[in-house]
Amino acid sequence: MEDNKQKIQAFIYEILNNMVVSDDQDIFELGVVNSLFAMQIVLFVEKEFGICFQDNDLDLENFNSINNINNFIGKKKNIIAC
Amino acid sequence: MKTEIIMFRKPIPQIYTEELYRRIYFIASEILDFTLSFKDENIQAIEVKITDDADVERLAQKINLTIEAEITTQKILPPKIVWQSSDKSGFEKDVFDRLVEKGLVFEMGEGQLCFGEPFIRLMDALDDKIKDIAISKMGGYEYRYPTLIPTRALEDCGYFNSFPHMLMMVTRLHSDVETYEAFAREYGNKKGIDSYVLNYCNNTDYCLPPTMCYHTYHHMRNTESNENRVVTSKGKSFRFESKYFRTLERLWDFTIREIVFMGSKDFVLECRQKFMEASFALIESLDLKGHCEVASDPFFCSPDTASKIFNQKMQKLKYELRLNIEEDKTIAAASFNFHDQFFGQRFNIKKSDSNWISTGCVGFGIERLAYVFACKHGLDEDKWVKILDGVKTL
Repeated sequence: MEDNKQKIQAFIYEILNNMVVSDDQDIFELGVVNSLFAMQIVLFVEKEFGICFQDNDLDLENFNSINNINNFIGKKKNIIAC
Repeated sequence: MKTEIIMFRKPIPQIYTEELYRRIYFIASEILDFTLSFKDENIQAIEVKITDDADVERLAQKINLTIEAEITTQKILPPKIVWQSSDKSGFEKDVFDRLVEKGLVFEMGEGQLCFGEPFIRLMDALDDKIKDIAISKMGGYEYRYPTLIPTRALEDCGYFNSFPHMLMMVTRLHSDVETYEAFAREYGNKKGIDSYVLNYCNNTDYCLPPTMCYHTYHHMRNTESNENRVVTSKGKSFRFESKYFRTLERLWDFTIREIVFMGSKDFVLECRQKFMEASFALIESLDLKGHCEVASDPFFCSPDTASKIFNQKMQKLKYELRLNIEEDKTIAAASFNFHDQFFGQRFNIKKSDSNWISTGCVGFGIERLAYVFACKHGLDEDKWVKILDGVKTL
């Protein structure tokens, strides 16, 4: 799980040009991400973690912070989130 | 005219039907009509009626490239309905034909209609109800804008990157006596106006506005204020809808009552929510049927089309008020939009603390709203007046 979180952090920091964000910060509220960001996160999660999205998975609450992304991946892979 | 069947390189899932349907006529002007061909929950081909001179191979390539670039890259989200009216049954039949027969509506061109009384009174009365929400309930201020909009303003709105297919531009003969003389000579020799006239035009500085709120951002450009503001306006908007024009459901030339919210993010989101609730109450008072759902704009021809649509839906930046014209058919009569700081930044509109303002807007299509009303209540003006007079002051 910790590995997953580190991968997510690395991806988010790269998108944000190394801007420091806490794991529970709502990234969309920062006002620095563009309209491509939502799709970039979803594609990253699909490719990096092999997740297949169901209709109800595509909710902003699952992708708007490092912690929420990590928890979502954990649920999908049946691993309890740290 | 000839008919051809074009197979897709790969069958595409049925969930993409709507996204594909709304783009076909924009792929090539040679397409005069089309039918999608389904097999086992997939769309596998399209039957097209095309002009005799159409290059079928080239057309097939364009269609397949559009599917691969714009359609199958999309993540289709399930519909998210945020409001549903109380159940109402009983719709009138053949309303458009009856409106034309009675002389209330006259077809002037593609997606262009002329209206007569009492339909004009109906449109004005419905507009008054919406304007009343904007001014009495939300403290809005009304402006009346010119019809033309500077091309630069549309560029700042990002329109050319997002909806180039819908843009209608305005030009004129180059202002020079030699141009006028040369044009007059050629026009005298030709039979009518055709694309040759563009050889005598230079200017691209104005366009027809695709929506009303762009006027407001252009109006407020380079201003600074700590005041949260609501601005309303009504005017003609223009979108090239190709062959998708239909009755009053989809026009090239139509009227929008627009309300723009400007200020802090919280203020804008609160206004949008308040206006949505007031609109739902109005729709119930008018005894109309419909629902409100998360929606997206008709982005096209950009490598980011799929991302933009997805982002709008995920962040609930746009809601559409879809009202019934038949038991099982709705049209989008209004939209409620949140832009965050996009227009504040593009037009340099600031709060006194030097941060850009947030904006949001509500747009009602007046012709569509009147058509919804007629489809539900018929063409009897006495009945219209009873219903409109019965609307509670909101």
